[in-house]
Amino acid sequence: MAVPQQGILERLGRLLPQSAQGWTPGASDDLYDPETIFSYIDGAGEVYRAYNFRHLLSRRYDKKDNPEIIVDLFDMGSSADAFGVNTMDLTGEDPGIGQGGTYKDGLLSFWRDRYFVSVSAESETAAARAACLELGRRIAAAIGKDGARPALLEALPPGLAPETAVGYLHSPVILNRHYFVHAENVLNLGPDVELVLARMGERGRAGALLIVKYPTAQAASKALASFTAALLPGSANAPGAAAGTGKRGAVRLTANMFAAVLGADSDESVRIVLDRVVEQVKKGGIE
Amino acid sequence: MSGKRITRREFLKTTAVAPVAGAIGCCCTGSTSVASTPGPAAAGGTATVQSISRTSRVVLVRDSKAVLELRKFNGAVVQKMLDDAVAALFGVNDPASGWKKIVGPGDTVGIKTNSWSSLPTGKEVEEAIRRRVLEAGVPAEKLAMADWGVLKNPIFQNATVLINARPARAHYWAGMGSCLKNYIQFVPKPSEYHTDACADLAAIWSLPPVKGRTKLNILVMLTPQYHNIGPRGFSEKYLWPYGGLIVGQDVVAVDSTGYRIIQAKRLEVFGEDRPLETSAHHISLADTRHNLGRSDPKDIELIKIGWAEGVLV
Repeated sequence: MAVPQQGILERLGRLLPQSAQGWTPGASDDLYDPETIFSYIDGAGEVYRAYNFRHLLSRRYDKKDNPEIIVDLFDMGSSADAFGVNTMDLTGEDPGIGQGGTYKDGLLSFWRDRYFVSVSAESETAAARAACLELGRRIAAAIGKDGARPALLEALPPGLAPETAVGYLHSPVILNRHYFVHAENVLNLGPDVELVLARMGERGRAGALLIVKYPTAQAASKALASFTAALLPGSANAPGAAAGTGKRGAVRLTANMFAAVLGADSDESVRIVLDRVVEQVKKGGIE
Repeated sequence: MSGKRITRREFLKTTAVAPVAGAIGCCCTGSTSVASTPGPAAAGGTATVQSISRTSRVVLVRDSKAVLELRKFNGAVVQKMLDDAVAALFGVNDPASGWKKIVGPGDTVGIKTNSWSSLPTGKEVEEAIRRRVLEAGVPAEKLAMADWGVLKNPIFQNATVLINARPARAHYWAGMGSCLKNYIQFVPKPSEYHTDACADLAAIWSLPPVKGRTKLNILVMLTPQYHNIGPRGFSEKYLWPYGGLIVGQDVVAVDSTGYRIIQAKRLEVFGEDRPLETSAHHISLADTRHNLGRSDPKDIELIKIGWAEGVLV
């Protein structure tokens, strides 16, 4: 293995404990990058690629006559993307571990600093559950500090959607997994575009709010035009004014940011939600 | 890729319903099709086009003794199941005659397996295939079994016959880990086939490394996984000892049948028609978009052998 890879392996390996509840490391650690991740977790590796992950360290823990436990430690490169990948699934109980921790069916997930952590038992037993949680607690402690949530979340009006219904992403494929918008990439999403998604009502049945931030005003204008043509045909597109039709609407928030509502209960709901976003952005001084 | 636009309603419908596609008539021209009425033995050991048929034959064989415990199988039982399935598939009395329609002494054979550590194809299934291929006269040096690295493997590069075997499982990104999906390693950049929930996996089957070479597909349903949590996506909690193999020459028909069973199991467990986390539409699109095979149950002649309890289909 090349020296830089060895260095990464050692750096990430130091964040993982040598034992927990009698479980100890089995085979040697494996290191993956965006090109090699498919050899480990198949096509689902696209999730982590969509969040620009840098490296994944995988370590297996064994204990005689007990299920194997696998720890996957992702260096996501930024705390925003660590937060984002964790929003892929926020169902489960809150174990109070790391940031945004969830536990269900033998799978513990959380993020902290620039890392996303998954601890999974091949089958769930009381002992395996205790070990998963212990491993998680020790990894969170080894990481040492919390990460900052994406600043774009400040544009989200308080109370609009529960925390578990908020996503942060860059990819149209990920967006459609959370809430189907369009088969084409009509928002021109990409690695340098940030999107905050809030699904309103139970399972998003009251619609979804999308707040999108682009690297330039020109990119935002182009995306808003594309979005309007695809989903708001015939509506006005005056900057700064809500434009909507058929329980959908969009409004420009800043030069490089706009918000849209889809699938709302009524046109009035669209207007109310977009007004709240505009107010929130003004109040928060978000640019 | 089709330029057809779909609405949110259509997307949800696609996600929620069974994988059956619309009627396709008799347009299937896949070289791996077995006629519903047994045809004559193919010469030279390899069965290519036996006939153009309106239906694809698929064999579901089950045995309650196949699964010893989760992910541990009885090799002798698995061998018999595979033999019975091959004989039924080709409408012959003895399995050896069936295998001779798949491979012969002049063939170079690649067995594409799946080595995913949590739920691999399984050595019992792999050995059952290997044994019969060798007995059919294929020299050992012209036989390889692999998952990763097939594009650089000289046996696979020169293969006249491919045999495709993998377990069925709910899959975070593709909806279902299917025989269609098992060929993703035949492309240099798998991510190019991951868009839209792997919608166009069937396109891989027309690429030179595999086109027209697959003579048998085996979807391992010994302990399939009917539900998935998280991208890594494995939990023993969601395996069940179904004790089955689905065998056929039409990969789409094989996968479609497996998917119906997965859906039926989810209905049984959850008490509602709960859609998979991701639509497994790559199976129906393999039929309707790529004309690779048949996904509609009415176009599939399903032969069921063995253990009937809990068959679900």
